[in-house]
Amino acid sequence: MTHGEDTLSESEEAVPVGVADDADEVDDADAGIEDEPAAERGAPDIADLELEGEIAADYIEGLLDVADLDGDIDMDVEGDRAVVSVVGATLDELVGDNGEVLDALQELTRLAVLRQTGNRTRLMLDIGGYRAERRAELTELGTRVADEVKRTGEAKALAAMNAFERKIVHDAIAAAGLRSESEGMDPNRRVVVLPGS
Amino acid sequence: MLEEALEHLVRGIVDYPDDVRVASRGLRRGRVLQVRVHPDDLGKVIGRGGRTARALRTVIGSLAGDSYVRVDLLDASEAR
Repeated sequence: MTHGEDTLSESEEAVPVGVADDADEVDDADAGIEDEPAAERGAPDIADLELEGEIAADYIEGLLDVADLDGDIDMDVEGDRAVVSVVGATLDELVGDNGEVLDALQELTRLAVLRQTGNRTRLMLDIGGYRAERRAELTELGTRVADEVKRTGEAKALAAMNAFERKIVHDAIAAAGLRSESEGMDPNRRVVVLPGS
Repeated sequence: MLEEALEHLVRGIVDYPDDVRVASRGLRRGRVLQVRVHPDDLGKVIGRGGRTARALRTVIGSLAGDSYVRVDLLDASEAR
């Protein structure tokens, strides 16, 4: 990863706590990639991230209980974010098409953490390995397209993706030694891979 | 089960979890889950641009499978 873990959402900052708008956590990843250097807010320390993970795990576990779904919950800290992963046999309905249910649940889980800690969180929720798999696919895609652009010398735009997905692709392209940008507005924002100079 | 799931999801994100009530009513086709929250929490469960409400509906809709479920979010002080 050559980019810092910087994001617009992290550098905006100082949103008052306790109003509904807080809820609206800005999507992660790539927004500020090219411009702002890493977060101005001090990075949360490990104990904070572990606490976020515990709150999130309780919230999800409660849902699994009432919905009568079986799943094992793992908590982890990856870099500067807490990761809560649920693994189990029958969790498809918590992932949904293109991960839309998973994204909704992640959003609610982040709100649950916000309510208890008073801080916004970048916590990542994964269910049934969906994000891990998606990450591997997107890394491969980024690497492949970077090779193609090196060969042809022409910029190439990819399909529209969410911020989390674009960040993974940007990272893969940077690792391959090329530059990339995001163009357009969500939900049509897409990565454009630029030829080297 | 859907009522409990919805109640759990909402209680976790509001400031007054004890004020959360979920009632279920049959519709001609499917049902409606009415969530009542403390007046100060209504904005929170709706979210900016309805984003939180949408997230709740997405999760509940998926848990409901093929059956139709509508989710209404109400201020507990509203008569009904």
